Amino acid sequence: MIEWSEEQLAFQAAVRRFIEAEIVPNLEELEHGDTPPYEVLRKLYDTFGIAEMQRARFKSLMKQDGAEKAAAPTEEREGSGETLAMQLILTLELSRYCPGMVTAMGVSVGLTSAAILGRGTRAQKERWALPLLTFEKIGAWAITEPGSGSDAFGGMRASARRDGEGGYILNGNKTFITNGPFADTIVFICKLDDGSEPKDRKLLSFVLDRGTPGLTQSKPLRKMGLHSSPTGELHLQDVHASADQLLGESEDAYGRSGAKQTFGMERAGVVSMALGIVGRCLELCVEYAREREQFGRPIGEFQLIQLKLAKMEVARMNLQNLLFRQIELAQHSQRMSFAEASACKLYAAQTAMEVALEAVQLFGGNGYMAEYQVEQLCRDAKVLQIYGGTDEIQITQIARDLLSR
Amino acid sequence: MKKILVCLKQVPHKDARLDVRSDGSWIQDDNIKFEINDYDTYALEEALRLKDQGEAEVVVATVGPERAAQALRTALGMGADRAIHIWDDALAETDGLGIAKALAAAAKDENFDIIFTGLMSDDANCAVTGPMLAELLGIPHITAVVKTEFKNGDVEVERELEGGALEVASLPQPCLLAVQTGINEVRYASLKGIMQAKKKPLDKKDLGELGLDAAAVAPKLTVEKIFVPPKGAGAEIIEGPADEVASKLVGKIKELGLF
Repeated sequence: MIEWSEEQLAFQAAVRRFIEAEIVPNLEELEHGDTPPYEVLRKLYDTFGIAEMQRARFKSLMKQDGAEKAAAPTEEREGSGETLAMQLILTLELSRYCPGMVTAMGVSVGLTSAAILGRGTRAQKERWALPLLTFEKIGAWAITEPGSGSDAFGGMRASARRDGEGGYILNGNKTFITNGPFADTIVFICKLDDGSEPKDRKLLSFVLDRGTPGLTQSKPLRKMGLHSSPTGELHLQDVHASADQLLGESEDAYGRSGAKQTFGMERAGVVSMALGIVGRCLELCVEYAREREQFGRPIGEFQLIQLKLAKMEVARMNLQNLLFRQIELAQHSQRMSFAEASACKLYAAQTAMEVALEAVQLFGGNGYMAEYQVEQLCRDAKVLQIYGGTDEIQITQIARDLLSR
Repeated sequence: MKKILVCLKQVPHKDARLDVRSDGSWIQDDNIKFEINDYDTYALEEALRLKDQGEAEVVVATVGPERAAQALRTALGMGADRAIHIWDDALAETDGLGIAKALAAAAKDENFDIIFTGLMSDDANCAVTGPMLAELLGIPHITAVVKTEFKNGDVEVERELEGGALEVASLPQPCLLAVQTGINEVRYASLKGIMQAKKKPLDKKDLGELGLDAAAVAPKLTVEKIFVPPKGAGAEIIEGPADEVASKLVGKIKELGLF
């Protein structure tokens, strides 16, 4: 893939028109007010018929479960590349103005539904994954705890005890949970407390509905950026879960590989977010460099400014190529290895941060003011180096993979 | 089944940077983004609404170079049924009449019930193609349409006049309606629509296929030059103490009838 196709460009143009009409005028409220992002995201889903397409995709997924999937005809495989391209375009376009919205949407439609689709039984997929895919319901994927971030599994304290009647009693606290305050469907990851050593305990994953007795969803937490993505805490005190809420309905269904797969997907999405942020920063900077005059001429005539612009363009080209590679791989039913996805995420996150900081610098005093968009994009970019695995974790995983070959 | 034609033009994107060519013949348009003329999107929406209400075929047509196919694909993605793309090197220098002749040649055997155009184009601002097309086809037309109602073979329209007044008029079909912006809320092309657009027919036609030749579309109007007026010309700078400047400014505003 060397260029967007005509259809992809048409979708991009339509999505941009929607964002400029429906989101940009309300950005202030979405970023700093009490309005959650879900209503406008649902409107976006309805407008472009995405919910309808997701429903069709779900149906075909249900049909070709298991072994048949590998033998899917070429057309369908190309279709999955096309679906990914459209998803990435949506992410890219939203990230130009509102990376927080991408996070809120991606965690619900992407991460949470993928966790259920990956490990759930057919009934669980129909009950919980489908309404998430269509954005009818909002999902949260709860893994991080106050005492465990990068060491998500080792430090995990959330627990499930068998209740002796086939069900479970869940306890624990989760934090930094995207959509936590508003989620209807929560995938709760915890360890089976069967009396064994904590490090030997099995990982289990439960699906919980909003309003379950014993489950408390906090108010949104205040954070540095991503203000349009509500982040919260979840507290579980003796929450009862029945066996059909255990993902896969088996204590052996979930493992680290399940969570790893989910991480892999999260990492791929960061490239398109970074490209959105970098592309927008570059656009704003070029415009500003043309118009802003100092010492009697536009600042774009100064070589130090030109250097910043040139580096931003290099970053944009690299990110675009990475994104095209992801799409092309999907078109051939392939995906990046975990280490490759980590490398992409590391590069994308660092690049977005560097470019956004340079954009603030290029805008000078204006760049530090909230009135100019680079200030928000700069705050938002930082999270890319932290969530979905910190830069440090990505580095370790890339190195470990290299050394194990 | 009603047959509806929507004529649209691809124009520079509203965010595109517009520089005048060094020879002053037109703007530099080889490296900028394009989009469907804003007025024409309302015309298209009006046609698609008629289609939503009942049986209708919506055909979109444009005169423009290779890149203009993208505008037609977008229209197909929004719901139009088929497209006609007219281009010929001889059309590169033509004027509004030449464009209208090409469109008329493409439309004459199709027997459209209604033709929608935008009131004018965002780039050239001539507002002539619609009325000229109607004249060439020998059908009535009306411009600056802000409301339409279709009943018993007639079209009742409201059109915008000077100073906010409206005019109500009635036309028999077939007719041509040149639509004002804001008449409706223009839909977005849906994802499914965009994917399906590729499969819808898009006919390319050159002058020969339309029974025309270069002489028929030779421009009667020649653009001498395009230029950006020099900065500051026509500006008046009021100087003096703040209160005097303010009262002089108020006087000027009243004098010009701006308030």
